[in-house]
Amino acid sequence: MPMSRRALAAAAVALVLPLSACGSGGDDGGSTDASGKVEGDITFQTWNLRANFKPYFEGLIADFEHQYPGTHVKWVDQPGEGYADKLSADAAGGTLPDVVNVSPDLAAPLAKAGLALDLDKAAAKYRPEYLDGAWASHRVPGMNGTYAFPWYLNTGPLFYNKALFTKAGLDPDQPPKTYDELFADGLRMAEKSDGKVATLANVPTIEDFGRYGVPLMNKQGTGFAFNDAKGVQLLTRYKQLYDAKALDPQALTATGESAGKKFLTGAVAMNPGSALDLGNFKKNAPSLYRNIGITDQITSTGHVNMYVMGLMVNSRTRHTPAAVAFAHFVTDARNQMSFAKKVAIFPSTAGSLDDPYFTKEDGTDETRVRIAAAKSLKNAVNYTPVLFSEQMKTALRNEVAKALQGKESPQEALDNAVKAADRLLQQG
Amino acid sequence: MSLLEKTRPDRQAARAREPRVTDRQGRRVRAGELIWRYLLLLAVLALTVGPFLWQLSTSLKGPTEDVYSSPPRFLPAHPTLHNYARVADTIPVWDYALNSLRVAAANVVTNCVGSALAGYALARLRYRGRRATTLAFVLAMLVPVEGIVIAQFTTMRELGLNNTLIGVVLPGAIGAMNVLLMRNAFRNLPYEIEEAAYVDGANVWQRFLRIALPSVKGTLAVVAIFAFMGAWDDFLWPLIVLSDPSKFTLTIGLNYLHGTFANDERLVAAGTVIAVAPLMALFACLQRYFFRGVGEGAVKG
Amino acid sequence: MAAPLRIKRQLAFSPWLFAAPGLLVVGAFVLYPFVSTLVNSFTDRRTLVPGRFVGLANFRELLHDDMFWTGLRNSALYVLGVVPALVVLPLLLALLVQKHIPGITFFRSAFYTPVVASIVVVGLIWVWLLDERGLVNSLLETVGIGRVGFLSDQWLLLLSAMAVTVWKGLGYYMIIYLAALANVPRELHEAAAVDGAGPVRRFLSVTVPAVRSTMVLVAALSSVAAFKVFSEVYLMAGPGGGPAGEDTTLVMLVQRTGTGLTGRVGYASALSVVVFAVTVALMLLVLRADRGEER
Repeated sequence: MPMSRRALAAAAVALVLPLSACGSGGDDGGSTDASGKVEGDITFQTWNLRANFKPYFEGLIADFEHQYPGTHVKWVDQPGEGYADKLSADAAGGTLPDVVNVSPDLAAPLAKAGLALDLDKAAAKYRPEYLDGAWASHRVPGMNGTYAFPWYLNTGPLFYNKALFTKAGLDPDQPPKTYDELFADGLRMAEKSDGKVATLANVPTIEDFGRYGVPLMNKQGTGFAFNDAKGVQLLTRYKQLYDAKALDPQALTATGESAGKKFLTGAVAMNPGSALDLGNFKKNAPSLYRNIGITDQITSTGHVNMYVMGLMVNSRTRHTPAAVAFAHFVTDARNQMSFAKKVAIFPSTAGSLDDPYFTKEDGTDETRVRIAAAKSLKNAVNYTPVLFSEQMKTALRNEVAKALQGKESPQEALDNAVKAADRLLQQG
Repeated sequence: MSLLEKTRPDRQAARAREPRVTDRQGRRVRAGELIWRYLLLLAVLALTVGPFLWQLSTSLKGPTEDVYSSPPRFLPAHPTLHNYARVADTIPVWDYALNSLRVAAANVVTNCVGSALAGYALARLRYRGRRATTLAFVLAMLVPVEGIVIAQFTTMRELGLNNTLIGVVLPGAIGAMNVLLMRNAFRNLPYEIEEAAYVDGANVWQRFLRIALPSVKGTLAVVAIFAFMGAWDDFLWPLIVLSDPSKFTLTIGLNYLHGTFANDERLVAAGTVIAVAPLMALFACLQRYFFRGVGEGAVKG
Repeated sequence: MAAPLRIKRQLAFSPWLFAAPGLLVVGAFVLYPFVSTLVNSFTDRRTLVPGRFVGLANFRELLHDDMFWTGLRNSALYVLGVVPALVVLPLLLALLVQKHIPGITFFRSAFYTPVVASIVVVGLIWVWLLDERGLVNSLLETVGIGRVGFLSDQWLLLLSAMAVTVWKGLGYYMIIYLAALANVPRELHEAAAVDGAGPVRRFLSVTVPAVRSTMVLVAALSSVAAFKVFSEVYLMAGPGGGPAGEDTTLVMLVQRTGTGLTGRVGYASALSVVVFAVTVALMLLVLRADRGEER
């Protein structure tokens, strides 16, 4: 719940102690050499996966321990909320687990603090097993190296509510394919429903700018650039939607979760999602499920957005060979494939997406969504810049909101957001 | 003649005429007043308990029932405990509840003992540094907890107590505010009783245990309840200090549930009911003592 | 007070034995970390990067930070909105449940349930109730008022969060008042009644003066808590603090600035120090007002 809640203000915190002292007590850890014997006790931390996949991970760990006698893996899973806070407390306190589930933006600060093992050095031999794009996603601008094994990928289609389309006089079998169509349909929907039905539930985020074709950073990766003409154009169009109530009025405060709820209740006509959501629709809103339409993500670039998860190896682990071997084991093609079959995610290993599971239709919606997503993943992009921190996201969100409310022009808003993000980047 | 005596005959006459609802002191309550009192009570009841009942109703709705329907349906069409079973399948909710219970119970004991001792020292004992000690507790009460979590974590790690339930309890083990509450309670006791005991040769521990402490039972009950709830509700600190899922407390478990099934309103509702129900039950059992303790007039400003 | 002088012969170390456990806990886990925060507020420390001394730079930056002023405004508004309600309403509630009429213990405990529920649970419940299509809005629509964007308008959001704070705090302060009321001699009321004072007069001339010190205590406690508000606003307005962050409170800003792997610990510490300073000032203000009235 709620809470990264209470703030961890953790931050605020202060440690008078120098970091090195809290860093790791006496055992300054680990070597970067992963070639030794695979043995010892290691800890493996996942991010909100226990509730749904406990048997899978227990089986996985048993297999690994069987394959490498003398190893013991302790699995801990952390709740979805407050994960970054938990990681920072552990990083500052020197209690970071040996193998840690991260996303690229979490890996970056850990790598900068020297807590992530450079896998280009320690695990170069495994590199060909993964998709190039996925392997590269845990690189950090300004550093040489790759700081996590790519794990699962996710992307998904755009869901829409056919009943609402019909009601607005739109063809339910002709969902918008381009941004022009999307904005036109949105305005029409709002007009016909007297502002009661919005088409979109979320304000544009950094990946929306990316998908629209806005360059997010300058070529050198030293500053942000999404305040160009194209960025301003996107924000201006969103403002038109907002003024017409085609963008849900609660979008300014909405989280992804409440946007999902709005789609479920029929207050919003379109929402991005994944194959996982279909089951949720079936269960929570049977009437919506009967009217569900599925279409591709809209992009101007031809590359859909994807989310990447990775497994980082703690550079201070006492059992580097075991930690690297385990991180590789979890992310290898066989284990990623069996994980993908449990849940609507996609493996990051080379060739896995050609498996019949991701190519063969069987007539169900779930399979259709899965196949379409797998296909689009082959040239998908993780638009969110690795260095785009939580604080920067907040700055962008606030400036976007000011523009939508008319307190600032779109140009001013984006200029301010870029300025704030650049300042944070330099401090970083 | 005192005012009291003047009014008494009236009351007795009234009581004699017909049986009336009376309060504990035996004063009658007029029917008209009784009616508006109950009406007001019911209105406040709807406000305070209604939201929980709505949550309970949501948690009992089956998978086929549309929880988003409008107008709302207050009662589930086909009540089912299915959602509760799913919660228990998803997270070891009873283990978590037990952990929460342990932490909360320990917190009650440490707070009652620690703040009674410190409160007594601040209120009744003379020693160099008493004002400084008081000031330390006052300052501690004002520190924004949100600002110091990581420093607390580092300290805990140095003590080797991270990832233990003891580590969860320690930072709140003796709350500054509870110490000050106890200090106020002790200060309000008349000195004469203790003096008598002093003259009889009772030493400071005896005076504390036999005379002062029994007189502040009410405040102690308040401290106990506050301590219990504080521990039971805490989220951020257990999240930071615990890594091992088998040691998680209920709030973290609940967070889990919400993170995993954010859109399944029924399941989240069932989880919240599980989190609240034991507390309500416990409180329902203890409230008699709690309110009596409070009624004895222990908390004074 | 001269009384303690009379009981002074005791083992010299025993006062310290009494106070030691409390001092130890508070010192190690509250005061020491706070001192670290003070020190950090003069550095540019970040979560994973040790800081350098930067003098007053963080505090200077505060003055030019729009978000800081927004946070200060919201936290101050929160005090102004919540404190009067929490001083008066629980007192009225305590008077309502004070009489031992049948079933009163049930009502007392029932009114206490919002206090017992964790803030997380409370947040979930109210977000669900105040949602645009939630229970409250569909009831409002039924009576012809129409739907209200409780969770989308900047000011309604802040008001809703205040309402939840008051809702959750009612029972807590009701208990404190109940205890105080138990100490008001019944004779005072009866005397006033005989003098022909109505309920309102009796409330103002008997009850209020009798529980005045408790009212001051409640005002002090609730204003400190209100100024440090975090959870309610965080849960209802979201981590971003509502539209354009306009509902961000100071402590939310501390959290947002300082947390996570990229947190600016130094700057957030400076914010914490400001929160602390204002809280101390508030406390002194309340106590001073109290003393002023007594004079």
